[in-house]
Amino acid sequence: MAVKIFIATDQLDSVLEKLATKIDLWIPALLKEDKSGPTGFIPYEPGKSPVFERQTTLPTKKLLLPQVETLLRFEYKKDPEGGSTSSIVVDDARQVRPTLVFGARSCDVRALITMDRVFSQGPYVDPYYVERRKNTFFATLVCEQNDSKCFCSSVGGGPADMEGSHLKIVKLDEGYVVEALTKEAGSLLEGLGEAVDKAKDTKAGKIVKEASKRIVGDLDTKGCAEAFRNRFAQNDFWVQMVSQCLSCGVCTYVCPTCYCFTITDETQNLKGERMRSWDSCMFSQYTLEASGHNPRPTKLERYRNRVGHKFSYIPEKYEGILGCCGCGRCIRSCPVTIDIRQVVGNLKENSNEQ
Amino acid sequence: MLETDRNQLHKLVEEALPELDMVIGWGQSTDSFQTTPVFVRDAKQISQLTLGPFCSQNLTGYLVKPPALDAAPKEGAKPIGICVKGCDSRSLVALIQEKFLTRERVRIFGIPCRGTVDWNKVGKLVDLSNVKSATVEEDVLVVDDSQTTHRIKLEEVLARKCYGCRYPNPLIQDVTIGEPATPRSTSIESSYRDVDRLDAKPLEERLDFWQSELDRCIRCYACRNACPLCVCQDKCIIESREPRWLTQRVGIPEKFLFHFIHAMHLAGRCTGCGECERACPMDIPVTLIKEKLNKIMEERLGYSAGLDVEAVPPLLTFNPGDTEI
Repeated sequence: MAVKIFIATDQLDSVLEKLATKIDLWIPALLKEDKSGPTGFIPYEPGKSPVFERQTTLPTKKLLLPQVETLLRFEYKKDPEGGSTSSIVVDDARQVRPTLVFGARSCDVRALITMDRVFSQGPYVDPYYVERRKNTFFATLVCEQNDSKCFCSSVGGGPADMEGSHLKIVKLDEGYVVEALTKEAGSLLEGLGEAVDKAKDTKAGKIVKEASKRIVGDLDTKGCAEAFRNRFAQNDFWVQMVSQCLSCGVCTYVCPTCYCFTITDETQNLKGERMRSWDSCMFSQYTLEASGHNPRPTKLERYRNRVGHKFSYIPEKYEGILGCCGCGRCIRSCPVTIDIRQVVGNLKENSNEQ
Repeated sequence: MLETDRNQLHKLVEEALPELDMVIGWGQSTDSFQTTPVFVRDAKQISQLTLGPFCSQNLTGYLVKPPALDAAPKEGAKPIGICVKGCDSRSLVALIQEKFLTRERVRIFGIPCRGTVDWNKVGKLVDLSNVKSATVEEDVLVVDDSQTTHRIKLEEVLARKCYGCRYPNPLIQDVTIGEPATPRSTSIESSYRDVDRLDAKPLEERLDFWQSELDRCIRCYACRNACPLCVCQDKCIIESREPRWLTQRVGIPEKFLFHFIHAMHLAGRCTGCGECERACPMDIPVTLIKEKLNKIMEERLGYSAGLDVEAVPPLLTFNPGDTEI
């Protein structure tokens, strides 16, 4: 029997406060004192109310892949006897604590299926990611707020998709029904909230059923990998699709699935840190080679790579999964309103024309 | 009125297109209310062109940012047509002043502007997630979210820059579409109200303000790339890896440094088009930093960028006999 609790709306803060004593707790919240302003995930603090009414501006990505992280610290030590010889002391800076994200959405969690394939299922296993992934739990809202930019159902997800989630949250008018989906998550709920009565359980069941039936988005991604290959060298197509691109990094930074990173050593005197930070295929430095040659010199090649990576290279490499979770954030945040659905949708039309 | 203006724009573009390489203008995006830049090369595309308070993007950056266009014209190359509002025309003037373009290279479709809509402000009044349509009726924005029809005064939801706008009518153009607009501001004082309001606060408060605002920055560089005068492009000091001037870290000091480098590189060049602020996904008032610099330029040097093609920007020249500095 799965553990299931009810949290009345006015009890939410006290329940979260108790939960925060068991585990590091993150919630979706306003990043500016403005109810329609930008939102993102922040560590819970008593009195801070979660924003469940709309999707966050920034996804949960940074919890698993921080924008900047120290991979290791190093220090050169000179040998007083040995003249020019020196040794290097390396210190792994990892510190991972169990964390619960309370109020993620299925699109955010769906993105992890792609990330997991890249970081944890070989051939190269990323210990930093793997350890954080093992220690991060997701309490996911059954989503009722999809808007005109959402298309989760088109990329294999859906508003009630719980794949990869540990707890399910259903919002009722009077509060929240929270159900553990794993044994470990069940223990987190111990001693919290109230029992769920029959009426509430039925109501929650109905909401989940309706959300499961809802089809969000009408992008047809079937055959897009092949269609992309056919379009690859059609310069006119890319000029037509993305001439308005500014080559900024918004779409990649708000994307829950974009995982590209760069590694740099930042050193002062004899001490330094090796850091990993988000990179963006929209930036020229991303593919700049040591010779000075850049195989993707303009935004056309860069945007083409973004589409190809998500809808062709990833599905071909990883058994059909897409590099897109359909959250629509790139569409909402683009300063020139580029819609990736339009580009992907057009890949197929007359794809062999030229 | 909008309908008449749009028809006039279509007619003028249709007449001019055979002599032009392309016309850059605004068109409907996949969204029911946001516009997206369109590059009209074919007469069939002309019907996509639109104008009015939704046309927020400043398109002049495309003239100098490849590869949509060839900035260095080949022998016999046709001019490029571009639609500009008052503020956009100032960026064009600045680009010509700095010799990124020649005046002959562009055919300018000037559009007197009554202000552009800031959708973040509309979002405070209407839930934008389910908007079915948005239209403008005279000075009212009509938003239909399938349940209710909201009627909002345009004056309440304009971009911040519009309230201090002294130049709603293009300063440089070949043709004008529609009637001239009345400036909302006619003085330095009323153009820099937001700067004065912040300047009136004690230093600590100002520091707190900028720290909390810039803390949200995700270093996506949308502000930089949307700026028509950020002309260094892929050679930007912020990203240069050899030498590496700035760390990859994302603490407030690094964000501060980025935004102040951006602003300082625009000192005496920024025309206040507000693209940096509009492009910001995190709602940071980044144009305000440049407005402060613009105010200093006006007060100390009597110079305002992008007004006169012949003028020499004071920071792009020097006088060896100057005793004031």
